[in-house]
Amino acid sequence: MLESTSWIEKNFSESPDAIFIFQNDALLISNQAAKTLLENYHFSLTYLCSLMQSVLAQQRNDTDDCFHCAIKEVMPNRAIPVTLKTADNQKLAYFLVVTPLDDAQHTYSLTLKSNAMLQRMDQVAQQRKLVQYVNRAHEEERKRLSQDLHDSIAQGVYSAIMGIRHLEPATAATDQAAFRSQAKLIENQLYETLSEVKGMALDIRPSVLDSFGLVPALKALAQRLEENTGITINVIARAETEHLSEDVQTVFYRIAQESMTNAIKHAKCAEINLILIQHPHLISLEIIDDGSGFDTQQMGSFNGHSLGLMNMNERVKALQGTFHIDSSVGNGTTVRAEFPVV
Amino acid sequence: MGDILNDSTNLASQLVRQIYMDEDFDFVGIALQENSGLRKIRWRYAAGYTSERFRKIVLRSGIGIAGLVVRTGKPFLENDLQHNQYSDYVSCPITQIEQLTSAAAIPLFDHETQGVGGVLLVGYRHAQQQVTQQTIAHLEHYRQSAGVLI
Repeated sequence: MLESTSWIEKNFSESPDAIFIFQNDALLISNQAAKTLLENYHFSLTYLCSLMQSVLAQQRNDTDDCFHCAIKEVMPNRAIPVTLKTADNQKLAYFLVVTPLDDAQHTYSLTLKSNAMLQRMDQVAQQRKLVQYVNRAHEEERKRLSQDLHDSIAQGVYSAIMGIRHLEPATAATDQAAFRSQAKLIENQLYETLSEVKGMALDIRPSVLDSFGLVPALKALAQRLEENTGITINVIARAETEHLSEDVQTVFYRIAQESMTNAIKHAKCAEINLILIQHPHLISLEIIDDGSGFDTQQMGSFNGHSLGLMNMNERVKALQGTFHIDSSVGNGTTVRAEFPVV
Repeated sequence: MGDILNDSTNLASQLVRQIYMDEDFDFVGIALQENSGLRKIRWRYAAGYTSERFRKIVLRSGIGIAGLVVRTGKPFLENDLQHNQYSDYVSCPITQIEQLTSAAAIPLFDHETQGVGGVLLVGYRHAQQQVTQQTIAHLEHYRQSAGVLI
């Protein structure tokens, strides 16, 4: 019992939140963080108390017509936003939480939680999710590649081997016609496998991008998607891309790929326009679809579905570009990425 | 060589027209393998289509209903298309573009190689109409009587 009391004390004194305990509006005890806070900031405890009193009074007001407020009921503690100033006039946002300890003795505690810290925690959590998402996407990619290799390439090569085995009887019987037809069959089989291999290579990393640049790569991607889906994809390119860094070209390509895949998968669109335009000191890529669109407000907040969008955004930001999505339900989607150029 | 090709493609277009007129399918189409280049398989003849978009599609072996027919050389059918694994453009573009709710497909064989050289696909746009094994048998009968071994 004694031990646990000392633990609780330790927890109190070393808590990262500043905790003040008051009795009859006079400071009773405070922890280390509270003391540091008092030293670093110019504010009076009486101000905190009166702020708290006035908010409490406001909330307990009988004339308050919000009798059964669902929000108040699920909030046992009152949280009040407070802004504190440092000596060099920097503003920092905090939350002031009031916890009544003993009503009879008028004892209560005030806890100051740093808003910046909460936001930072949120950011860290978000980044963790993003890392997880990217890792999972890597694994998914590998899974798909392995499946493709196994199901289509290996299968195709195996069929060709079986076909060649069947050539033997035809050769033995000197059956020219059978030989020719079997050879044709194997040729077709190998052609099919060849186009699968080429398609896979294109999916993994378009060699066109490395050898011919961004515009031919975008055109090749558009043609391939068009052939796979029957959706019309127009590529309009009015830009010189030779001087763009490899990173920027790759990001443009991946954004085009992801946006078009999104449009095809989720938006049920019939047409996609891909526009790459050079402005003075700016190059922009727009992907416009005529699909079902979505509510950007809903997607803009942090949820599991928008990680793909967030990842695109992060990739653009990392190269000093801007990323923007314009969409509303029923009006299609426009994805735009811009990079400054010299 | 050109004449043979013309003959067989004529047969294919006639077959599409005939099935579309005689039966109640909403869509009838034939995809054929090209004789040159990468031997892509494209939809060449169709009846009851809602747009020209089907012409852009290149069939991928093993993917989608028609693709499975190409890969396996066996007939294939599926109902309730808008609610299963074939319900997106990438996995089965033809049924998506033509908004088919059910589809049945049989292989067309190449004269020379006996390999699959094309696909005949029919489908409905109304959920109450379904395709069955009987549909397949029906299509095989058409194929046989037309003598389409392309």
